[in-house]
Amino acid sequence: MAEEALRATRYKDAIDHYKALLREERKPDWVDNLAEAYAGRAEQLAAKDMLKEALALWRTRAEVCGVPLVLGPCLSWLMRLGEWDQVFGILSGAEPVSPDLRDQSETQLARVALTAPDDVLLKFPPQSPLLLHRSAAHAALAAYADGDAVAMNAHLRSIPFRSPYRDLRAILKALLLLPTDVEQAAAVIERVPAGGPFEPLAAALRVCVLPRSEWLAPLGGLDKNARALVLDIKGCPPEQRAAVAELSMLREDPAALFDLVARHRQVFPPRAAAQLCQRLLPHVPDRIKAFRANFVPVPPAEHQRVLALGAELRGDLDQAEAHWLSMIHALSPGQPARAALVLNHLAASHHHGGKPGELCEHGIEFLEQSLELDDGNRDTHLRLIRALRTAGAKPKELRKRLDGAMKRFPDELEILLEAMDSALESDAFKKAVELAKRVLELDPINPKVRSALGRAHLSQARKQIVAGNLKGARRELEEAGQWLRSDVERGALQLLQAFAAESSDPALLRAAVVGLGGSLPGIFHLLLEAQRTKRDAAELLRLVGAELDATPSAEEIVALANALNAAPDQDNALRAAIAPLEHMIRRAASLAYAESAHLLVCEALHRREHRGLTRRYAEAALKRWPGRPVFVYLRAAAMFAGNAWRIPRKERKAIEKACDAAQSQGDTRTASRLDALLTESGDDFEMFDRKTGLPAFLDPALTDPAAAIDAMFEFGGEDAFLEMVRKQFGKRTFEDLRREIGGNKKQFARRLMDMLGKADGLLGEGGVPNQGPLPAPLPAPLPTPEGARAPRKQRPVLPGQKDLFDD
Amino acid sequence: MTDPYRLLGVSTDADDDSVRGAYIAAVRACPPERDPRRFERIRAAYEAIATARDRTSHALFDTGLPAAGEVVALLSASWRPGRPSLQALHKILKVR
Repeated sequence: MAEEALRATRYKDAIDHYKALLREERKPDWVDNLAEAYAGRAEQLAAKDMLKEALALWRTRAEVCGVPLVLGPCLSWLMRLGEWDQVFGILSGAEPVSPDLRDQSETQLARVALTAPDDVLLKFPPQSPLLLHRSAAHAALAAYADGDAVAMNAHLRSIPFRSPYRDLRAILKALLLLPTDVEQAAAVIERVPAGGPFEPLAAALRVCVLPRSEWLAPLGGLDKNARALVLDIKGCPPEQRAAVAELSMLREDPAALFDLVARHRQVFPPRAAAQLCQRLLPHVPDRIKAFRANFVPVPPAEHQRVLALGAELRGDLDQAEAHWLSMIHALSPGQPARAALVLNHLAASHHHGGKPGELCEHGIEFLEQSLELDDGNRDTHLRLIRALRTAGAKPKELRKRLDGAMKRFPDELEILLEAMDSALESDAFKKAVELAKRVLELDPINPKVRSALGRAHLSQARKQIVAGNLKGARRELEEAGQWLRSDVERGALQLLQAFAAESSDPALLRAAVVGLGGSLPGIFHLLLEAQRTKRDAAELLRLVGAELDATPSAEEIVALANALNAAPDQDNALRAAIAPLEHMIRRAASLAYAESAHLLVCEALHRREHRGLTRRYAEAALKRWPGRPVFVYLRAAAMFAGNAWRIPRKERKAIEKACDAAQSQGDTRTASRLDALLTESGDDFEMFDRKTGLPAFLDPALTDPAAAIDAMFEFGGEDAFLEMVRKQFGKRTFEDLRREIGGNKKQFARRLMDMLGKADGLLGEGGVPNQGPLPAPLPAPLPTPEGARAPRKQRPVLPGQKDLFDD
Repeated sequence: MTDPYRLLGVSTDADDDSVRGAYIAAVRACPPERDPRRFERIRAAYEAIATARDRTSHALFDTGLPAAGEVVALLSASWRPGRPSLQALHKILKVR
């Protein structure tokens, strides 16, 4: 029990236990432990400033345990209490003191000796170094304060290395170095041991040498005098000291920081306090009133900006959008660039999170409006072009945007590259070559363009082969040969050269197939090129002597997967090229792949929608790595994608389990893919009837529409409710309603529900929404809740309109 | 992100040339091989305010919370290092 109390630093209990034990037997271990318990308790008391009580315990410890009184912190406590008689009594030999302890104690007394009144000094032994070096230490301190470095150094030289004042010597040297060489000062102060006699001064100095603003936080931990000293050294004027002291105590709290800056605004440089508070406003929108009172009025546009950023910080993107749109309307007509930037920002918030650059219709509209206001923003042009390409916009629309961007930025590489890629995608090879050459004029070593140029020539050659113009094809292939570098591209070139040769040469074909990675990948490329050039695949296979019955090696399957991944996204020839190889690929499903290789193959097949093969490979993988979430997903996706509602209960359980496992393994991609599959499949029980859109549990006889909607809302939440409304009315009408009604998702859903419940004709029998178009007029919009502004409806840009304000 | 103006040591009304000059000076003072993380911060700061459009965008959308250190740096910009008086030194050395 005694030991346990000692270990748990319950010193009081430990003392009682050991005292009891020692009454029975005086074991040396118990005596030592009792001494330790006394020391611990005394230090606890001293930490609470109960020095007298601490000293009393220390004396008891010396008496009971037979340890010397002067060991430990006893002298420093006596000094703090001003018990000089006792201090000097100890040092003058009333008690036996070892030379080491004497030296240690004298060092501890150095600060006392330096600042003590003369009558106290009389009590020191005359030969004590404390007296002998005191005047030099005093003079050095005074010389430093007078700025006399020469005198200071001279006085410091009189203080020997082993003097009790040695720490002061180092501290004064560091102080002298501080204004000119902080790093050197830091190095000197680092050599002063912590807890020395001049610790308060050393501690202040350690804060002073911290780089940049890092000194601020530790400043809060110093006492009043040390803090004042640091600020003296830093050169902080008196009027700013209160602000700095408060700042040093501040934790990350925007409201507190706002209040502090506003309160001390007079001590900041002109405009700085206002700028700081303005930056803080989005974090504390409720301080707008205080900002107005302390600084300047907040213009309406700025007010909306603050509210928009505040909403974004809260994650309320609908509300944020409403405020941004209000800000655009509040901006003066002379600020189209600002409005354009806001529209760009809004477009970014409509990012789908799928492919890079993917935007929804509204995002694209925002970018188009942004360009109407500021067509000098290269990035907006690029974002819009990329978004249109990703969204599969009409070629005419895309070309219009590309032409506009190239006209505005004729030498902009990224725009030219987009135009080139777009030309390649739409089989405009001549245009692509022209653009690629322009890019190479600007950037002669651009590897991407060199490869693209080569591929453009390959594509043109394919066109010529299909048209039967073999001479033209050979010319294109010769051009392509100058640009292509990768093995696959060179292999494709070789194949096409064989296709375009005057007479069929099987040796040339075979060499190309070998160059493309052996039987399976080589044959795949042969079949692919055969598809692209409309050649007879069976004849080509016969010419190269392909064996389609053999089982390929794991390396060949992986090479095929890499080839599938490298092929362009919209390549219709891919599926036809794989078809004759399916048997071979299927046979290799149970080979001993490494897990990463197996996954690579599965993903490649999944990406190209070869469901049967994906399923076979995923099942083979699950045999080797049972329950691995990613393979569970690939198997389920291959079996049920597009028909997820058919997933049987047992399979659902497996998917749910895999989803949980993926989450716990930190595999968020797989977790989200599995989750999407589960969502697509619907819940275990049908939440909404597929025909009526009503909650499945509702009594079909329920005829009160408002009650039906209410129940639906309560049961499914706003997401399910909004989804139902969107499905019933169509996306367009739903979006119109969303803009008309406004508010955040919750408010919108609630108001929509009220409207639907009240509106005659909106709902059919039994609360089932009518399938027809939304009857006009809509019920009057409900009052907007306080603090929220309904988003304004986007108006199309009129012909001839230059900016948002030009009606 | 630290206030890019402060990091590069330019005022909020600096033009493109001043920002670029400050960036080049900052990179020279702290090349990437010496302190890659600081270089990254310098680079990010430059990209945030390199052009007038970037600066407008930064002013519109920045929600970076100013740190207390940043606030004190504003105050201390005009400070000149001082020397404590003998009285202040005695005060801190006095045994209480």
